[in-house]
Amino acid sequence: MPDLHLDHLSKSYGSLRALDDVSFSVAGGELFGFVGSNGAGKTTTMRIILGVLRPDAGTVSWDGKPVDLEVRRRIGYMPEERGLYPRMKVGEQLTYLARLHGLSERDATAAMEHWTEVLGVEQRRGDEVDKLSLGNQQRVQLASALVHGPEILVLDEPFSGLDPVAVGVMSEVLRDRAAAGVPVIFSSHQLELVERLCDRVGIVRSGRMVAQGTIDELRATDRPQWELAGTLPAGWTADAPGASVTQAGPGVWRVEAASAEAAQAALASAVGAGTVTSFAPVRPSLTELFQDVVSETEEAA
Amino acid sequence: MSTLWLIARREFRVRTLSKASLISSGIMIAVIVVGAIVAKPFLADDGEPSLVQVDTATAADLVPYLEATAEAQDADYAFEEADAPAEPALGEDVAGLILGPVESPTLYVEDGDDTLTGILQAATQAAVLDAQVTALGGDPAEVSTALAASAPTVETLGDGGSSFDSGEFFAGFAVILILFFVLIQSSSVIMMGVVEEKSSRVVEILLATVKPATLLGGKVLGVGLYALVQAAAMIVPLLFASWYLGLLGDLSIGVGALLTNFSIWFVLGFALFTVFFGGLAALVSRQEDIGAVTTPMMLLMMVPLYLAIYLVPSDPDGPLTSILTQVPFFAPFMVPMRAAFGAIAPWEIALAIGLCVAAIPALVWVAGRVYAGAVLNTGGRMKLRDALARR
Repeated sequence: MPDLHLDHLSKSYGSLRALDDVSFSVAGGELFGFVGSNGAGKTTTMRIILGVLRPDAGTVSWDGKPVDLEVRRRIGYMPEERGLYPRMKVGEQLTYLARLHGLSERDATAAMEHWTEVLGVEQRRGDEVDKLSLGNQQRVQLASALVHGPEILVLDEPFSGLDPVAVGVMSEVLRDRAAAGVPVIFSSHQLELVERLCDRVGIVRSGRMVAQGTIDELRATDRPQWELAGTLPAGWTADAPGASVTQAGPGVWRVEAASAEAAQAALASAVGAGTVTSFAPVRPSLTELFQDVVSETEEAA
Repeated sequence: MSTLWLIARREFRVRTLSKASLISSGIMIAVIVVGAIVAKPFLADDGEPSLVQVDTATAADLVPYLEATAEAQDADYAFEEADAPAEPALGEDVAGLILGPVESPTLYVEDGDDTLTGILQAATQAAVLDAQVTALGGDPAEVSTALAASAPTVETLGDGGSSFDSGEFFAGFAVILILFFVLIQSSSVIMMGVVEEKSSRVVEILLATVKPATLLGGKVLGVGLYALVQAAAMIVPLLFASWYLGLLGDLSIGVGALLTNFSIWFVLGFALFTVFFGGLAALVSRQEDIGAVTTPMMLLMMVPLYLAIYLVPSDPDGPLTSILTQVPFFAPFMVPMRAAFGAIAPWEIALAIGLCVAAIPALVWVAGRVYAGAVLNTGGRMKLRDALARR
């Protein structure tokens, strides 16, 4: 399956370095979550993919060839700042956008009908976009990104401002598109959602890609941690080489160990000293990973 | 190409089918057509000659002289012999009453009628002259022929002699005024359209699939067609009204020539102004800020308009007029005005058209650069230099 490849992208606005040597690729059928603080460079990256911005250096390629206008017409794009003609009717607008992407009048109308139904705005086809609630405008916006049957999806914060039902519908649509072989890139600040939905995640900070991989890869660390709970004498410390124990709360300890054996030794020491009710590896959430990565790079800087 | 057409078609449909546009065009057409139909009877009344009664007993001899004089002066009067009442009074639909004697008649009118007075005076003099010539044994007909043949020839020396022809002035004035309004309206529509796309951010979706030049070009084409329809909605009823009221023949300059002039300079002026202002409009992000671009636009259009109105009539082929004729932004107003005065050589028109055609690609390039550089910029007004530098 073809993949979308971003190669050493750099972009500056005056003295501000918005993107600094960013590279990653998204394979067909993969959901790629793009995470970063405000101003980290997510929107700039997406705009470069869409060709609305030109990078100072680097290339974007699809299926091994540079992305040109022909390829871009087959990308579905949802910009960060929502954009639709406020005074144009929903149906007309979606048909128009589909035709701009090269669909015939008949196909465009059929696609418009399909996506307004899937996204639950089929009752509003005859209304001007202005008249819709923000949530419904958001649904129409997603429809506008999907209406031409894109081969690549680039969505900037598609979930912001949606109610839980709509979040469900939209997640379903993204999964469905990915299953159809479309590479999907989206950015979001809702990290639990990214964690649940994405095959791979990229974390950007100050224009640099500071971490990328599957959630499990991101979790992988040199010093895994375990959480130990139970009743142990005050001032207990593990008698195990290569493991360090810190009390994380009343009756809860955090064990940091270089290896699984060291962790086992720490557990054995605890069992010898009192009662242990639970011992489990700590699986940091994406939120924690994100905070770690961001603060690490901050220290490095 | 098909994308350009799609954009143009949307632009055209949205503008033309908007309620405001339909209503204003409808009102305009209705006012002109209904106005012409309502005005027709009044204007037709003028076609009927005013009736003047001449007292049979005392002034009947004046009638042939009155009729001849009225005809010579192209005045619409009918003279009818009637028996004047003892107390002079004007009957129904009677404009005047003339009582003898022939040498010193009395004219009774309701209001002062200078034309009729003049006719009566000339007729009296002619009648008296005839009487005197006959009395002296001469032939009045010979005298009249001799009088008619004696006409001075006036030759003007120097340059200042060209007379001011109000008909030509108003024909030229009408053309450039309609041109001005159509151009200023379409420029505003384009600018508002560009800013609307910018402020609603839809431009980012569009630019992901369409080149900036195609987007701007499609807008210009669509709004151009819209402006043509608007102009036609104004001109066609006007032509109909003029034809219906029989006014077409009164203009010394042909309607065909006026329309040709209008069409050529509509296309050229349109390309010059709207493309340029469409590009500039991308510098602003919000409708509130649009004044920053519309003010220079108004100036750039009003200065040539005023110069054409004031300069051309006083000095139709002076050096300043000739030079400005060749400056692209001035040409759309200068050339039709000078052409209406018949004061422009064909090569000047050809050169002006040629220079405009040559200037258009350069302007399109500048406007395209500004547009592409500025259209994705958000926030405040962007400086022209930054837009040109940005890629």
